[in-house]
Amino acid sequence: MQLRRQPLSAPRPGDTRPAAQRLAVPLLLLLALQGAAASGGPEDSGWLQDAEPSSRLLSQAARAALHFFNFRAASPSALQVLANVLDGRSWVNQKKEYKFDLVFTTEFYSAEEGEKRLGKCSAQVFFRNEKPRPAVNVTCTQLVKKERRQEEDYQLYKLMKQLKSPLNAVSIPDSHGYIAPSLRPIWDLAFLGSSYVMWQKSTPFLHYYMSQISSVKQWKTNDDAIDFDYTVLLHEFSTQEIIPCRIHLVWYPSKPLKVKYHCQERQTPEEASGTEEGSAVALTELSNF
Amino acid sequence: MKPLLGTFYLLGMLVPGWLGYDRSLTQQRQEVVDKVVSPWSILETYSYNRYHPMGEIYQWMSEIREKYTEVVTQHFLGMTYESRPMYYLKISQPSSNPKKIIWMDCGIHAREWIAPAFCQWFVKEILQNYEDNSRIRRLLKNLDFYVLPVLNIDGYIYTWTTDRLWRKSRSSHNNGTCFGTDLNRNFDASWCSIGASHNCESLTFCGTGPMSEPETKAVSSFIESKKENIACFLTMHSYGQLILVPYGYTKNKSNNHEELIQVGQKAANALKAKHGTNYRVGSSADILYATSGSSRDWARDIGIPFSYTFELRDNGTYGFVLPETQIQATCEETMEAVLSVLDDVYEKYWYTNSARKAKSTALVLGLLMSFMSLL
Repeated sequence: MQLRRQPLSAPRPGDTRPAAQRLAVPLLLLLALQGAAASGGPEDSGWLQDAEPSSRLLSQAARAALHFFNFRAASPSALQVLANVLDGRSWVNQKKEYKFDLVFTTEFYSAEEGEKRLGKCSAQVFFRNEKPRPAVNVTCTQLVKKERRQEEDYQLYKLMKQLKSPLNAVSIPDSHGYIAPSLRPIWDLAFLGSSYVMWQKSTPFLHYYMSQISSVKQWKTNDDAIDFDYTVLLHEFSTQEIIPCRIHLVWYPSKPLKVKYHCQERQTPEEASGTEEGSAVALTELSNF
Repeated sequence: MKPLLGTFYLLGMLVPGWLGYDRSLTQQRQEVVDKVVSPWSILETYSYNRYHPMGEIYQWMSEIREKYTEVVTQHFLGMTYESRPMYYLKISQPSSNPKKIIWMDCGIHAREWIAPAFCQWFVKEILQNYEDNSRIRRLLKNLDFYVLPVLNIDGYIYTWTTDRLWRKSRSSHNNGTCFGTDLNRNFDASWCSIGASHNCESLTFCGTGPMSEPETKAVSSFIESKKENIACFLTMHSYGQLILVPYGYTKNKSNNHEELIQVGQKAANALKAKHGTNYRVGSSADILYATSGSSRDWARDIGIPFSYTFELRDNGTYGFVLPETQIQATCEETMEAVLSVLDDVYEKYWYTNSARKAKSTALVLGLLMSFMSLL
């Protein structure tokens, strides 16, 4: 059964494969995972199911899946964060590859105090050799109808187009956690771009949160799209480190997000700094819809 | 004459509390420490819903002590690396009853601003309510509260002046090329064995040896001197929404682990009842990550039975930079959790005694009644 080792293929945008074919790949992935759980011979790369998966590992994998989901949805008005892991299983093999099968609830990132609508997602997450950039297959219930989400994105977009270049904004939020209402769309868009970076950097043992936007280098809206160049401070939980990442994104409502980033790592043996470029088009090779 | 004065001044530095609140030292500090210190009372308009710089916290402590002089005293613990005084507040109802001590410290990690905010809130709640709130009155009959509002003062000030996300102390290492020890990796509890680094550049740098830092020494020598009487050690952090029990340096559990979990879970339930916030309860090694040299583990290992780390709001949305608009709700729910722990601690030490007395009194009365009825 080679299927579970192949990169998961998916339709590119604009592809018009019949629905049955599009379903076939996720179904095969599911079958592959089931098979992996059941078998244990040498040709199956020896997946060992964790009898007592640590809730911490499951949460981290769920977060990685959600970062990917948020990035792919490319919708700053509909960003979601992890609420609770309802069910999770994990496997590891001798090659130190990790696999997770998860069901979890989510909340809106920008939920007002008291607004507690929960979404639900199921995801399979695959880490190759404890390395970052997991392969993710994730589906979530629609917390907001697509039309409404598109409309709210468009409203956000219009607000952002009107913004005089917010280059003076030193930190968002400020030290007291305050974000001026007019700058709120910037925070949401920055979180969207950071989601891509955080997904790229997540490993089974490293997981990230966005702490602050520390500077805005550029904010352009010349042609239709928003061109946003900023530095964000990511907090990595297990090392407690703060990692500055320079992110450059281009966004237009309902279009895939284009992101480039460069993070300033402290030189440790496991990680090296580098520039990466990704766009939703290239990314669809790594995931299923 | 001058050498004599100099000697007196030096003695004043060495003898804790001798010179009282050391105004001269703080006046020498520039920047934030005395930036907002005004001669007028700040207590009248002190907002517990805002974050306060260290200068204001020093002034607040002083005024709290003056206003609630019948129950509050201020005590000197030691000096920080950058020579700032560390003070804790003792809240104690004078009585002949034997007392057990509850210790609470906040802000061992500089960027966790919600923690010092909670320490101030806690003090305010106790003092404003101890006279007419029966629950708090009961606790104060046999418990003394020792509250250290900011443990890592140098680091806290640094987050106001320079780097909001600074974590460690401000000690200097490697010839002034590297700064700061993670004070919560510096205690003598399996020091630097796991989850900590010998590299000063790291955010979990454990220091040059166990208890190498003046802040750690100040806290630990005090706690050590009182350990027979300390029933509960609480250390407040953020973020993560967790109530952590020992240990971080091993997956082994303390001998009272079941009880600690039970009390912790009850506290988490009380917390959730307030505003719906979910907290998880467990040992640090199980639900957070492996750490060594933590104050909580050290406190448990020297014999303090109830030892907890609280990781306050939130879950990562704002993380360390929690908006001020959430201070009140966070403090209210955390207050419920802490009071729940204190109730359990109280009942463990005092309920059994009074219950026994009640039972034996009832027995004697019962016997008397039956004897009288026979007459």
